[in-house]
Amino acid sequence: MKCDEINAWLDALLSEINEIEVTRKSERRVRVDVPASSLPALLELLKGKASYVHLSAISCVDWPGDEEFELVYHCWSYEAKSLLSAHTRIPRNSAEEFAHYVSVYDIYKPAAFFERDIYEMFGVYFESSPYMEKFILTEWNGPPPMRKDFDAEAYVNDTFNWADYHPQWLQDIEEEGGGIAIRPEDIRL
Amino acid sequence: MKKIKYDDLGSVLNPLKNLQFFARKPVTEPLGPRPAAEIYRGFHLNDMEKCIGCSTCQKICDNAAITMVKIPHLKEDPVNGIRNLRPAIDYGRCCWCALCVDICPVGAIELSREYVHTCNGDEVDSYFVLPQEKGMHGTFEEKGWTKTETNDLLDRKRLPMGEMTPDERGDNFDEIVNGFTPEQAILEASRCVQCGMCHDSCPTHMHAPEYIRAIWKGNVEEAVEWMYESNPFSHVCGRVCTHRCESACSLNQAGLPQGSEPIAIRWLKRYAMDAVPHERIKEIAARKKTDQKTGQKIAVIGAGPAGLTAAFDLVKQGHEVQVYEALAKAGGMTRYGIPYYRLPDDMLDRDVDVIVSMGVSIQYNIRIGKDISMEQLHKDYDAVILAIGLQSGRSTRIPGSEHEDVHSAVELLRRIGSVRDDMNTAEDLDFKVPHSAVVIGGGNVAMDIGRSLARYQKQQYNQVNMTITAIDALENFPADDVEIKESLEEGITIIPSRGPQEVVLENGKIKALKTWRVESVFDADGRFAPQYDESDEQLYDVEMVVEAIGQMAEMELLGEQLTEQLEWQRGRLKVAEDGATSVDWLWSAGDCVNGPDVVHAVADGHRVAESINKAFSVQR
Amino acid sequence: MRPENYQVVSLPNSDEYELFIGPNHPGIEGNYAFKLKLDGDRVISGKADAGYLHRGFEKLMEGRLWIQNLAIVPRICVPDPVPMEVVYSLTVEDIEKTEVPLRAQWIRVMQLELSRIASHLFTFGGHAATTGMYTPSYWGVADRDLALDLFEELTGGRVYHIYNIPGGVRRDIPNGFLDRLSDYLDYLQTRQNDYDNLLFTNQVFVKRARDIGVLNQEQALEWGVTGPNLRATGLAFDVRRDDPYLIYEQLDFDIPVQSAGDCLSRILVRRDELFQSVRILRQIIKHLPSVKGPVRSPIPNPLAWNVAKGESYCRVESSKGELAYYTVSDGGDKPYRVHVRGASSMHAVQVLENMSVGQRIEDVAQIMFSLDACPPEVDR
Repeated sequence: MKCDEINAWLDALLSEINEIEVTRKSERRVRVDVPASSLPALLELLKGKASYVHLSAISCVDWPGDEEFELVYHCWSYEAKSLLSAHTRIPRNSAEEFAHYVSVYDIYKPAAFFERDIYEMFGVYFESSPYMEKFILTEWNGPPPMRKDFDAEAYVNDTFNWADYHPQWLQDIEEEGGGIAIRPEDIRL
Repeated sequence: MKKIKYDDLGSVLNPLKNLQFFARKPVTEPLGPRPAAEIYRGFHLNDMEKCIGCSTCQKICDNAAITMVKIPHLKEDPVNGIRNLRPAIDYGRCCWCALCVDICPVGAIELSREYVHTCNGDEVDSYFVLPQEKGMHGTFEEKGWTKTETNDLLDRKRLPMGEMTPDERGDNFDEIVNGFTPEQAILEASRCVQCGMCHDSCPTHMHAPEYIRAIWKGNVEEAVEWMYESNPFSHVCGRVCTHRCESACSLNQAGLPQGSEPIAIRWLKRYAMDAVPHERIKEIAARKKTDQKTGQKIAVIGAGPAGLTAAFDLVKQGHEVQVYEALAKAGGMTRYGIPYYRLPDDMLDRDVDVIVSMGVSIQYNIRIGKDISMEQLHKDYDAVILAIGLQSGRSTRIPGSEHEDVHSAVELLRRIGSVRDDMNTAEDLDFKVPHSAVVIGGGNVAMDIGRSLARYQKQQYNQVNMTITAIDALENFPADDVEIKESLEEGITIIPSRGPQEVVLENGKIKALKTWRVESVFDADGRFAPQYDESDEQLYDVEMVVEAIGQMAEMELLGEQLTEQLEWQRGRLKVAEDGATSVDWLWSAGDCVNGPDVVHAVADGHRVAESINKAFSVQR
Repeated sequence: MRPENYQVVSLPNSDEYELFIGPNHPGIEGNYAFKLKLDGDRVISGKADAGYLHRGFEKLMEGRLWIQNLAIVPRICVPDPVPMEVVYSLTVEDIEKTEVPLRAQWIRVMQLELSRIASHLFTFGGHAATTGMYTPSYWGVADRDLALDLFEELTGGRVYHIYNIPGGVRRDIPNGFLDRLSDYLDYLQTRQNDYDNLLFTNQVFVKRARDIGVLNQEQALEWGVTGPNLRATGLAFDVRRDDPYLIYEQLDFDIPVQSAGDCLSRILVRRDELFQSVRILRQIIKHLPSVKGPVRSPIPNPLAWNVAKGESYCRVESSKGELAYYTVSDGGDKPYRVHVRGASSMHAVQVLENMSVGQRIEDVAQIMFSLDACPPEVDR
């Protein structure tokens, strides 16, 4: 199958889905914005009919201002040589309660890895994903750390101590009337 | 390349071929550290003399590994942008990325080729190091990663400021500088490394880093709010400030491989002030005003920057302030001394209007000492501030200098400025524009009068015949470099190192100014004692001579009794650090104390207001 | 998991038992655990356990200035750090629409290929070691060290080069560098025979690696496998060729392919790839001197650099496979989000878990290393 054919086919396919917005960013990059309800159908079509067989990644972006998570499914077609990024937004919910979405594991097997990662880091529960359990943060009981409302630097400052150096040269300067003037934590930009 | 097929089973004997290695010469590596590559990123070196303590390295450090340490015996010189802080590195955090090297504005910090350091558990302190020229262990290793033009991370070139060409501006008083557009201002503000040298060097300690950051963020209102923390004359200072901040700017330090220009702090201030609507500025300025009334009354003599700044501060604190101004409008020297092309009067009016809107009352055309006596002020007010500026010009007192066509620059500028706000025509002037004139003096006032007269000459006679001559060599002229450059562009002749000897008169009119070449200005002890080469005499044929060699305060208003009462020092009023005179109800501020400088006057105004406020709170 | 938190699992009434490989094991390039359930010496199931190298880089990056992240990204994959720097810079340049000077692009490709060589040499040694042959691992590491010498000369750092920067590279190449690079390539080519004799045509190794850990093309595609592991199943896919970046389109190189999809195919693909990289570097040595101009287009003062609002997904071919960064900017001075799609994230976890089922215990380590998984790419 030729690239052009696939592209033409893709355009026809995309027109079948409701409320879809397609942006061609460059020769090999397509951005698609799609409602959360239509995304699985889109991926199904992409994989089944348009040769986008490789799920490169699922990225999650937290937008607390909009009370939403953005999920981005990056799909690659070996034949069309084109990367399609499907963007969708789901409600965010509070940190105590998980946000929910459906797994696309039945379409793309690699999704399991990314879904588990997003579940762990952002607290988005994917229904019917095979491994919704801890993986990287085995011993972490705090909130999902990649959420914007988790302040990692504050956590580190509360949990760990700064090294307390007091070498001879510093003691000499202190005797002279000088000493530490600006600590690094005072001026983080 | 030899292909290996998947089906090729190989041979069990193949590895034995490597027995030939027994015949090869073994590779021998010496014990001890091997020499590192030329640009190796090892431990830090810091040139303690070059380092200015700006702490930019600390800000870029992505691992928070840098602590700034105060070292008292090093030079601390805020006016020149030098602090006695030096970076100390925590090698428990450093990742040797060398971004500190790449960003250092002066190129002081560098990395060496030294890379081995280890210690016992109880010597952990040895990981916290104050890098010096000698390296981590006091034994200099060769330099590794250093700054070059390629890896320098700072934007060294200032955004060019749009301005009128000499042709466009030569015959009018329109403002020369266009000012930044929002895009330009954001770009220029983005060059700032937030070191705060500008804040330290500014006489009134303006919060320049904060307002530059606010401008960069696109928040001009926040910028204006920061400005009003320390300067109610921000329109004026945004145009004509002597900008010590820019001299002290970390990006202005010499010794860089590629040259470097300071942030255009003054123009950024101008931009932010112009970008916020006037009514909004008034609201912002009023935010810090207290609702309480103290009942204390203060009189201010002179509505210049010093007097009005003090009035602004005192009104903010809830005092009642009455300002007396001898002339018809407020602003003092900023109005009557600075030509319109540098500072349009309507900009000054805005600053004054903000101050008045805070509740400061100004009475014009009231001359203290004549219309109201000092005794009366003392009786009516709890405190009096003397902020009269330097209103009379000094004379060279050379033969002929008492002639009526020999003018003092300040007096002439005042006469020009009194006629029309925009100065733009010579029509109503009370003197005739000379076909040719010479200005004696090399300061900004000399340039101001020279350039103003040159504009009128161009308007009326379509040619400039203006000479500025001074005793100093050109590089020692007190005037700003840009003033000299622009004067030359406008067709003014500048003749340095000439000592005026006589105004040659003929038939009751000026014929020429006679000068001798200066051999030296100061004697061996550094005292002013010019030596001339009398054989090198020049005559400039002119109609008018203007003297711009300095100004004096007019202290007659004090009256005999008060003059007696006050302490004087070498003909000047003796004033304490905080502006207090030896009389407990009288303070003095501004040019009449410090010599001419707008931003200094503003700083003085703040200082005096604070001192008065303190005195009152002690009384209460 | 910390030892004190581990609870002994008792599996009553069966011959099954648990065996932990890792978190410290020579079968993998970092701290990573693989928990096996065994019946005799057959694997019933395997469970990957990551997190020993989790340093929260993605979170850290959101709190640092755009340029400060340059010091973090190479740490995500120690054996092959250059693609990390390059792909991060590529995303920023894509968002900012920065033109990268041609010379910088050539220098970047030079580093990328040198890094690939270093990484593959490392893998040869590791793979051989899992079959009980230790000489190739000494050789591999020693020859990789010579590449690190070149990196040290070029970038000032041996392992973490921190040399790429949005807009180009931080410094131009040192005088005479290309000659020394050329010498190194000569040396590598003289070593080819040694490696072939010792490893690739060594019947002991060939027999040991053949038909072990077979992954066919269908499975590979289903499980999202990329890189040499995919090419070992017969699909000639390479990001450098199929989704080209930098100046790869101007270079002449082959994409080595094997079809069996076992451990031997994978290591043979890597061997061939290494010498393709040599071929690419030869072209660069020839062309780079004629590519004049700056090596960096200036960026604004990094302390006040707002990168334009936007997002970018950029991919490169690292030695482990398809490496991608998804970078989002909200127009601020720090990234809003950086998602690292580690090249190993597929074959280090799900693929490995699936492949190990039914294998014999002595083959598991070889399968692990033949996939060339880089745990820090999983953990980030």
